[in-house]
Order: sequence, then structure tokens, then C-alpha cells
Amino acid sequence: MTPAWTLISAFAGALLVLLLPARSAGMARVVALLASATGALAAAAACLAKLQHPDAPAWSFDRPWIPHLGIQFHLAANGLSLSLLLLTGLVAIAGVLFSWNVTQRPRAFFAFFMTIIGGVYGVFLSRDAFLLFVFYEIVILPKYMLIAIWGSTNREYGAMKLTMYSIGSSALILIGLVVAYAAAGGTSFDLDFLASYKYAPSLQCWAFPVLFLGFGVLAGMWPFHTWAPTGHVAAPTAASMLLAGVVMKLGAYGALCVAMPLFPQGFFEWRLVIAGLAVVGIIYGALTALTQRDLKFVIGYSSVSHMGFILLGLATATHWGLRGGMLQMISHGIVAGLLFGIAGRVVYERTHTRDLTALGAFDLWRTLPGAAFAFTLATAASMGLPGFSGFVAEISVGIGVWESDPWLIVPVAVGIIVTGAFSLRAMHRAFFPVRDATAAAAPMLPPLTWPEISAIALLISVSLAIGVYPLPWVTLIDDGLNSPLFHSILALP
Amino acid sequence: MNYYALFLQLLPEAVLVITALVLLGVAVTIEAKTRRPIAMEWAIAISCVGIVGACAALNFGPAHAESASTLLVVDPLARVFKAVVLGLGLLAVLLPPAQREISQPGEFHALMLFAITGLLLTVGTDHLLFLFVALELASLSMYLLAGFSRSAKAAEASLKYFLFGGVSAAFFLFGLSLIYGFCHALTVPAIAAALTAGPLPPFAAVGLLMVIVGLGFKLAAAPFHYWAPDVYQGAPATSVALIAAASKAVGAVVLVRLLLLGFRECAGSAVWGLMHPGWALWLAVLAAVSMILGNVLALAQTSVRRLLAYSAVANTGYLLVALSANGEYAAGAALFYVVVYGLATFGALAVTAAVEQERGDDSLGAFAGLVHRSPLQALALLVFLTSLAGVPPLAGFAGKFMMFGAAMAESTTPQGTPGLTWLVGLAAVMSAISLYYYLMLLKQAFVREDADATPVELSTSHRLALLIPAVLLVALGLFPALLLSPLTRALQLTFL
Repeated sequence: MTPAWTLISAFAGALLVLLLPARSAGMARVVALLASATGALAAAAACLAKLQHPDAPAWSFDRPWIPHLGIQFHLAANGLSLSLLLLTGLVAIAGVLFSWNVTQRPRAFFAFFMTIIGGVYGVFLSRDAFLLFVFYEIVILPKYMLIAIWGSTNREYGAMKLTMYSIGSSALILIGLVVAYAAAGGTSFDLDFLASYKYAPSLQCWAFPVLFLGFGVLAGMWPFHTWAPTGHVAAPTAASMLLAGVVMKLGAYGALCVAMPLFPQGFFEWRLVIAGLAVVGIIYGALTALTQRDLKFVIGYSSVSHMGFILLGLATATHWGLRGGMLQMISHGIVAGLLFGIAGRVVYERTHTRDLTALGAFDLWRTLPGAAFAFTLATAASMGLPGFSGFVAEISVGIGVWESDPWLIVPVAVGIIVTGAFSLRAMHRAFFPVRDATAAAAPMLPPLTWPEISAIALLISVSLAIGVYPLPWVTLIDDGLNSPLFHSILALP
Repeated sequence: MNYYALFLQLLPEAVLVITALVLLGVAVTIEAKTRRPIAMEWAIAISCVGIVGACAALNFGPAHAESASTLLVVDPLARVFKAVVLGLGLLAVLLPPAQREISQPGEFHALMLFAITGLLLTVGTDHLLFLFVALELASLSMYLLAGFSRSAKAAEASLKYFLFGGVSAAFFLFGLSLIYGFCHALTVPAIAAALTAGPLPPFAAVGLLMVIVGLGFKLAAAPFHYWAPDVYQGAPATSVALIAAASKAVGAVVLVRLLLLGFRECAGSAVWGLMHPGWALWLAVLAAVSMILGNVLALAQTSVRRLLAYSAVANTGYLLVALSANGEYAAGAALFYVVVYGLATFGALAVTAAVEQERGDDSLGAFAGLVHRSPLQALALLVFLTSLAGVPPLAGFAGKFMMFGAAMAESTTPQGTPGLTWLVGLAAVMSAISLYYYLMLLKQAFVREDADATPVELSTSHRLALLIPAVLLVALGLFPALLLSPLTRALQLTFL
């Protein structure tokens, strides 16, 4: 199976779900699960093939699309995109499983869901700037609809804020891409061609921050992160998982694979600014998470903090840093999906509260031991304990930082400590409350359902697998980083 | 003079006029016999036959040859856009006006056909005086169409449209006379031959400025847009559909012909820091003002028709961005955009008309719960508005991206100094802002619930008026080359 099947299965799934007759609307989730599984399988098969035959020519699909402007329908996948495709597939499966009980307009729900998945696959596969931008923007409207229709707390506000941030950031990306296209002669939107063009340093100096900021907003870069917590909290569980798990990765991927290779000199001019913002994001996100009362807000701000590690890894301009950033993308995609799934679906659907104090009354570690166990593991992964994916990612970023700017390691360490603090605090308050003997007995809660258990098991096992044996992922990522695209970044001092 | 060639060349227009006269005759006969006006369905059917016939007649005309008359041109640009005008006109006719609005469908549709004839003639000429006459034929019909429903609002709309249109016609004509006085030529190629590269002499510049002001009125470019909100709100939906879609496309063609063909050498420069007076700079300023005013004012609207009017102003701005780049590819993209913009705005108006017929008003709140009452209307609205907002995979996105990309590319010198970057940047940001007010409307249709969820039935022609543009927008969004290729080829052949 070629990687194109990820894209095809997602969009075909969206279409099929819409075409289901009204009386079999319940089948929507089955169709969505099958489509997600097909996508994940295609991605996994492509990853395996790549690992077995690392030197085989990369798959690519290239057809003229709008020849007047030099726009090609060009899809291709190196190891870097393949690993992200697999992440998307896994999060998609988990997302469908965690949405198994959606009964309000299920066809529309899963159609929007699969459209987002398809758009994300498309971004990771595109090798043409126009095509990449198309897929990047396809995601925006379904995001709005998912949050505004199926969301909870302050959904219309959260949805609109998130959408306006997204569209604003894509306006910046549009400007950056169009400038790159025009300055390179206005003949081709091919990303490899644009990346090989030597832009004037003066142009790079202003075009890079425009393009990087556009992607950075979606990656939750401080101080443009405010859409993320409100959006994640307002969104229904599956949408929070997608948003934090893969959609924010679109921003990081774009920053890494579009903004930096296109304008490498601009990147080196602005590198330290990005690193500074990333470090502020790490600490600010962690500190804010420490003071939240809503479990989802804690996870939302922890995402801001974790995304800071990705940006910091990119800003080091070292092989270790980029690799760490990529690993963090994958790790955070899995872990954030897991945390949001447990908080939004498993806990909230049963207790109807996310307030840390109110949750204490439910005595969750007794009444819902499975959830408490899963959340504990997820917290460990999120804190970056050895054995989990987060550790591999953060240590790689740390090495990268040490190689490039050793003094930055101090605030990073502070950030890691605060991360531990807020993770433990939230876990403790929500799941392991201290209760005096006189308190009323906690109400009984329905046990975990099979879809929930399988989704949790899937995500935890992947996080553990990466943490214990990261070699395949590192091999895939290094394959991408060794491509000519990154020569200009990794070769320079 | 070869009268047979002239006849073939004017066959589409002739078919339209004959159909209009037949329609009038039939309407009068029926009214005399039954004392009741002709049924709406009949009027629509006869006009549709006429327009389809005109489309067929387009194929009989010569494609690229010597014109039989100095007043008319035969070139691919005219041919393509005659087809476009007929297509958009056909859609407008398909949109049935509310029964209570229009008491004489026969006369109303005859006027529609006359307006389309005027637009066809406008597209098919490069003789300035004839251009003026053809434009006035279209405009006079449209003034009447705007005020046809005899309500106070329609009367206000019509009067405003007429007064503003009259003043703009005066500007246009006076500008033409100045240009003639300087160039001693009335056709576009002759003007191009009379001009030398470099800045325009003051009188010709004033003339050109006046012509642009006149066309700015027609295109609803700010600050000449004051008629638009009232006309969009007060006039019958069918008339608005014609004014918004077909007439704007024609305005764009006239601009391309006049500026890019006639005054190509006198564009000046709108590059930031290197500005030279010339039409490119004027267009850039008009574009910036239109985008800012249109988008900002649209944010505050509660009437959907007024919202669409301000969105029209904003979209004129994007169009002028591409035209100010003064290049073939940007012009091709602009013409592409004006067509898909016409389709999308027409569709949005058609949905608004349906909601109005059902709910009695066009406020945002009237759209609440639309997805439950009529999934077709809601989905179509989604397509139209997201296309207007420039969200892929719809044609509006492809159009905007190509316009901005081509504008930037055409205006950039190879040394890497960004040229129209300020304008394209503004356009991208403004286009992002526009998503907000389109989403306000989509939020009503998809998110808000409404107590009344009884399904709504639409007439067949109304349904077609929703489906055809929606399908076209999706198809052109996925395969923009389908329309862009003929447009670019036509432009290249015309430029030779």
C-alpha cells in the first residue's frame, strides 16, 4: 500500500459517512473506524517498508494541476512524514473509539472528523506549497463545526477564537509562500525547488518571521497560544484529541519542513528569538497549568508547555534538536490524545464535572480504578519519565540545546520541574483525593467500556514502545532529516 | 460592409432581443385575454430558452477574425466572457422572484434579457463610445429591474442606483472625451498606438481617472459603493443576482480591456516606496480602501443582503489587487475570480431569497436552524460562503490564491525586491477577517437551533439555481485549470 491510501481512506470515509441513509446513522462510527484503521495500516505498512528498505526510492505522485502558475499535485513521503502519518492514524483510531457514544448528528460529526484527518494527512504528504496550503486550510472549517456544534464550555466563543487564529495564521503563511514563489521567479510552487532557491538575505530576514509566525501560531507558540486552551476545553473529546494531538503538529511540521528550509538565513537571524519564545512558552504554560481548576485547562496549558519543547528543538538548529523536536511531536501527539481522552470522555461523561475539587468527591481511584491507572501512566508519560516517549523526546531536545546554547538548559530544567509539579497536582487532586472518614460515600460510576479500554491501551502501548525502543522512530526521522531539504540548516554553524 | 458576417457576429444579441420581444408579446396577449399576467413559470421558461439559444448562437459566430464592424471586436476574450455573462444571466433568470414582489413577470424578464444584451455588447466592443452606449443599455435596464417590485424600499434602491449610476456615467463620458481629445482615437488599439511609454500627460490622466471612477461605481469599489447596500437590500433578488454577478464580471472585462490593453504603457507603479502616478497606483488605492471598508463594515451587518453587499465591495478590492499588477497571469486569475465570485454571490443570494420567502426577512436570525429545515440550502450556503471566504477546496480559494500569487509574481523584479507585497499582504489579512462574518451566518445555519424544523420545499428552478453554482464551485475548486486555461489563452491571444 502506498502512503496515498491514508489520504484516500480518510476522504472516502468522510464521503461515505455523509452518504449513509438517515436510518443507519449508527453505522457512521463503524465506517469512521474502518477508514481510520485503513489509514493507520497504510501508514504503518509504509513505515515498515521504509525501515526494511531504507534505500528504496521514495514513493511520490506528481501530476500537473494548475500549469499556468506552476502548481503540481505533488505528493511524496520521506521518513519524517511517514512517522507523522502513523501518529495521525493512531490518534484517529483512538479519537473514533473515544467518540463511540456520539448520538447527536453522528453522520455530520464523523464526516467533519474524517475531513480533519484527511487534511492532516494531506499536509504531511504535500511537496507543493499550494497543495500543502490547501490541505492546511481544509482543516479549519471542520474544526469550527466540531467545536461549535458538539462542544461544551463556551463552545461558540472557543470555536470562533480558534478559527480566527487559524485563518489569521494562514494569512501569514499565504503571504510567506507567495513571496517565496514570486521571488523565486514565479514559475513553480514545488517545495524542493523553492527550498533550493537562494533568496536575498534582506528578503529572508522579514519573510522568515512572517512564515514562521504563521505556522507557530498553530503550534501554540507563546504569546499566540491563547486559542489553544480555550479551544481544547470547548471542543468535544475527539476534537480536543485531534487538535492537541495532530493539528498543532501541522504548525510545527510547517515550521520545520517549510519555513526553515525555505529561508535558512532568516532562520539563523531569528533563531534565538524563537528559542526564547519557546522557553517562555515552556515555563509559562507549566506555571499556568499549575493554577488551573479545570482538568481540561490543565491539559490545555500543558500542551502549550510541551509544544514549547518542539519549537525549542527546532530553534537549536542541531541534528539532536530537530530529532528531539520531531520525537516530541509524536510523543505529545500520543500523550495529549490520551490525557484529553481520559479527562474529556472517560471522566467527564460519568461525573459531568472537570473541576479538580469537585472531582475529589467522586473518589475516582476507587470508583473508576481503570481510569485512574491509565491517567497515572499518561501523567508519567507527560512528565517525561524514562520508559515513556516523553523522556526520549525531552532528552534529545536537551542534548540539542546543550550543543547549541548551553545556558538555555537552565530554564528548560525549571520547566521540566514545574511540569512534574502540575502533572502530579492535577493527578493527585482529581484521582487520588485525601478524604476524611466521615465524608459521604462516593456515587457508583459505570465501568470503562470496551472502546475506551482499547483506545487507552493503544495509546499507552505506543508511548511505552517509543520509550523503550525508540530506534525505528529515530531511523525514520533521521531519514527525513538527512534529505537535502535540511542541508542548509544542519550544515551551517 | 458584410452584413451577413455582422449578422452572424451579433446573432446571440439578436436572439436575446427577439426572445424579449416575443416574451413581451406573449405576456400582453395573455393579459388581454385572461386579464391576469403571464405565469411566472412561463416567463422563466421563455427567457431560459432565449438565453440557451443565444449560447448556441455564440458558436455560429467567427472565433477570431476581422470584425465586420469597427464598433465590435471579435476576439477570444469577448467570446469567453459572452458565454460567462450568458451563464450567469441564465442562473439569475432561474432564481424566481417572489410572487408578491413582481406583478408582471413578462415585462420583468424582458428587461432581464435587455440587460443581458447590453452586457454582451459591452463585452464585445473596444470602441469607447459604443462601450458607453452598451453599458448604458445594461444600466438603464438594471435601474428599472432594481425598482420593479413597487415597494418603498425598492423605489429607494432604484432611485439611489439611478442617481449614482447617472453621475458615474457622466464621469465616464467626460473622461472618455478627455482621452479622445488627447489621443484622437476612440478604439482601444488606436489609443495604445497613440500613447508612448512613460507618465501620462495631465489631461489624459484626468480622463483616465474619471473613467476609472465611472467604472468604480459599476464595480461597487469603495468609496463609490454607497448604492450597493441599499440596492442589494431593496431590489428583487433576481435583479440583485444580475447586478452582483454578471454586471461585475463585465466591469472587470472592461477594466482589463481598457487598462491592460489600451493604457498598458502608462500603468505607473504601486510598488511601496517607488510609487509613480498611473492607473496601477489608483487601482491599488481603490483596492486597499475597498478591502478595508467592505470587510470592516460587513462585520457589523445584521441583514444578510447588506452583508453580501459589503462583501461585494471587499471582493472588488481583491479583484483590483490582481488588476493593478498589470500582467497577463494576474489578469487571468482576476477574471477567473470574478466568475467564481459571481457564482458564489449568486448562490448566497439564492439561499437568502429562499429563506426570505419562508421567514419574511433576511436577518441573521432568520437563518437559525436552516440545516434542519433544509439540508440542501444549508449545504449550498456552506459551499457559497466558504468559497467567498476563500477556504479550500472551493473555487474561491483557488481564485484568491492565484490572484495574490500572480499579482506578487508579476510585480516582483528578479532582484528580490518585493513589490506589491504591501497590497497582497493587506489582501490576505482582510480575506482572513472576512471569514468572521461569513462564519456568523454559517453559525446560524448550522449551530443554532430553531423551534420550527418543518422541512421546506423549493421550486425546481430555485433548486437548480442552488445546485448548479454549488457543483460548479466544487468542480472549479478541484480543477481550476478548467476555467483558467480558456481565460488565460483568451487573454494571451487578445494581447497579441
